[in-house]
Amino acid sequence: MKINYSHKLTILLLLFCSIKSYAQTNSIKGKVISDKAQPVIGANVILVGTTIGDAANEKGIFEIKNVQYGIYELEISAIGYEKRKVSNFRVNESTKPLTVVLKETAFETEQVVVSASKFEQRVEDLTVSTTIIKPDYINRRNFLTFDDVLRYIPGVQMNLEQVSIRGSSGYSKGVGARVLVAINGIPLYAGDNGDVVWELIPLSDIERVEVIKGPASSLYGSSAIGGVINIITKSTSKSSLFYFKSYIGTFDKPKHTEWRWDDSYRTFYGAELNHSNSIEDFSYTLSLKKFDNMSYRQNDYSKRYLAHLKLHYNFTPENYLMFFSNYLYSNRGNFLYWKNSQKALVPKDEETGNYVKSNRIFNGLIYHHEFNREFSGELKTSYYRTQFDGYGIEHTTSIASLFRAEFITNYIISNKFTLTSGVEASYADVKSNIFTNPEFFGSGAYIQSEFKGVKDLIVTTGFRYDYIKLDTTAGKNAFTPRLGLNYKYSDYLIFRASLGTGFRAPTPAEVFTTAGVGGGVDVKQNPNLTSESSIAFEIGTQYKPCENLFFDFAFYQTDFNNFIEPNLTKDGDIQFINLSKARIQGFEAITDWSILENELKLIFGYNYMWARDIAKNRAMKYRPRNIVYAQLKYSPTPFDFGIDFRYLSKVEEIDFALVEPPLALVVDGEKRVPIFVTDLSASYSFLIGSAPIRLNLNAKNIFNYYYVEFIGNLAPLRNFSISTEIYF
Amino acid sequence: MNKHLSYIFIFLLIISLWSCDKGIEPGEPKGPGGFSGKVTFIGNWPSGVTRTHLVVFKNPIQSSDDFFPPNLTFVADSIPYRTTSFEYNSFENNFIPIFQLGYGNFKYVVVAQSKTQNLSLDRKDWYVVGIYCINNDQSKAATLIVEPNKITPNINIVVDFNNPPPQPPM
Repeated sequence: MKINYSHKLTILLLLFCSIKSYAQTNSIKGKVISDKAQPVIGANVILVGTTIGDAANEKGIFEIKNVQYGIYELEISAIGYEKRKVSNFRVNESTKPLTVVLKETAFETEQVVVSASKFEQRVEDLTVSTTIIKPDYINRRNFLTFDDVLRYIPGVQMNLEQVSIRGSSGYSKGVGARVLVAINGIPLYAGDNGDVVWELIPLSDIERVEVIKGPASSLYGSSAIGGVINIITKSTSKSSLFYFKSYIGTFDKPKHTEWRWDDSYRTFYGAELNHSNSIEDFSYTLSLKKFDNMSYRQNDYSKRYLAHLKLHYNFTPENYLMFFSNYLYSNRGNFLYWKNSQKALVPKDEETGNYVKSNRIFNGLIYHHEFNREFSGELKTSYYRTQFDGYGIEHTTSIASLFRAEFITNYIISNKFTLTSGVEASYADVKSNIFTNPEFFGSGAYIQSEFKGVKDLIVTTGFRYDYIKLDTTAGKNAFTPRLGLNYKYSDYLIFRASLGTGFRAPTPAEVFTTAGVGGGVDVKQNPNLTSESSIAFEIGTQYKPCENLFFDFAFYQTDFNNFIEPNLTKDGDIQFINLSKARIQGFEAITDWSILENELKLIFGYNYMWARDIAKNRAMKYRPRNIVYAQLKYSPTPFDFGIDFRYLSKVEEIDFALVEPPLALVVDGEKRVPIFVTDLSASYSFLIGSAPIRLNLNAKNIFNYYYVEFIGNLAPLRNFSISTEIYF
Repeated sequence: MNKHLSYIFIFLLIISLWSCDKGIEPGEPKGPGGFSGKVTFIGNWPSGVTRTHLVVFKNPIQSSDDFFPPNLTFVADSIPYRTTSFEYNSFENNFIPIFQLGYGNFKYVVVAQSKTQNLSLDRKDWYVVGIYCINNDQSKAATLIVEPNKITPNINIVVDFNNPPPQPPM
């Protein structure tokens, strides 16, 4: 074939052009970090519509090479984070490195590993209803204390500071909690009255919160009769990381002029500095926080300081030692009940000026050792010292020291059979002028198995024995077995069922309290108080018809025997007594709908609950029949808007004995309404250098709805706050 | 997108209708009420009576538990033995000051006696000798209505030892 020169020239020109064209490429480089300035290892960065992409390395750095000049859309995703898209990204000779900030997902319903069962499981493998909360939700909403977080979890109800899961508790001033709250699996209840002090929980160090709904006594013993809230703290940072948060807010004035007791706006504010770092195998986190609240009510102020320290040492990648310590100082007014409904924000005359000072220190030590890949052990010890002094007409005081130790083993016998077992012991010593000076001793042993021998079926069985000895009262034994089933019918449909037992030993406060509650009414001892027990079952299903829609349904029933409740005695005093029988039945539905992927999301939860005293055939106190939660979130990066709504129907039963004659301690205490609370939130995220910053605006109870969670205690009025968070 | 925005709008509208500026409101100022009257005794007093009280119950006694608070709401001062008439006022003659009558309807107002040496709170240690009743028919208890800030007068009870009223359940 003969090729003339013109053809040769044409071919050369074409070659040159193609070479030139081939050279018109550049790399897309960048870094993927979390909104806490941590590298998101393994984050996938792809060019939408192609298979071209890269995964972020251990420093969060990625590089997509040889990308032709042009305009692209990038998609960045990672498990546990909200997917993000970067549109109109131009690749040319001057393309600069890109920093992408991924937000952690707020709620997780699947594909998350939880450890509330004392070994790691995927949520979808659990046999009981579970909700996981991620820290993003806590920060975005500017929750000041952990109990506020719990108000927005389907199936969880707060009566003032007392938590109740599916109606497990009414209100008894925090005494004798029926939900076990734990930090890294170590129970956080006081040695005297068994209450949980929510302010002691360091919100900035939360990795996730696992809420197990239903009795878990077969693993956790007493107090877990209603469920477990396990707070997992974050891993310490691999490099130096500071976190600073400050907030300020104000309560609106009440609409009703009768309620205005202060002409100024009541404010709340706080600041927190958190630092985390690693030096080879040693790492630490230190956090200091001050938070004050003038409150919307008279004599309801609080001034608090919280210090949190966490030390972590890796002997090997598998074996580690962790120590954490939380210290809380609190000085607060002691608002018990309103004066009356005309003076709803003012305490009763005799309570004006009353205040409580308290010091609490909670220390935990965890040693984890993997003997081999199949067998591991963990030793958990804790020391919790609480001290409070109440100043009023009488001086009340209590100092309680609670020591606790637990040894857990986990044995993976085969890939189908896992065995978890443990022993634990606790001892409490109380010195008090209202609880007398009792001692408490408890011990327990448990074993739990998970069997996956049948295709798509998981069977868990467990058994626990406890021995409880409260001072001079007779020692008590408790046996709590449980059985759970989880069946994956398909990738979209999972069924679960569980049958469990629970028990709760009375706390020293319930047995030995002798104190006045005002108006000449006293709380009296009841040395005959015995443990309460329960048997509960649940059947539930998870259904995921498509990628962006998720449903969870559950029916549950719990029968209580010897249920402990405060009661008015024949002498006109208050005493904790054992009710004969109580039953709680209910239905719960939760849906999670991503209306627009990563931008618009709706979470909806409904709980119907019928809690009744069987002997008297009447409702149990402070248990609403209907609870609705709805959360709508719109997140057009870098903004984030949210609406949170909750509805609780009017409670049928309250402490009528305290409200009505003859005692009538709480004037107008019968005033109660259904609860409708709507909160708005907005946040804006941006970078200064490589430091992620977020501004949060919150308006809580935006419609200024007036309600009570407990008699004579008006809930917070409409309030506005602004908070700033920065990681550097 | 418009459809989704309309969902949000409807959602906001519903919750605002439910909750805007509503909820608990200050009630009318209500002070405690009271009642007054006279207890008249006919016939011979039984021997061995150690205490006699006018007692107010919210509801008629259906079981022994109803004999005590919170159903028991008011106890007047002890009436001296062999008294023929006793005038009282609930504000001035409150035997247990921590018990406050408040206001409302009280469906069982009686005079009760006990023969125990020490004050007993056992139902079996008390017997009813007179009832605030309709048309002197002691089988038909009248309702005492106490209004806030007011004293309801003429709550008169006749105790006829020769014609004792029906006893509530033990």
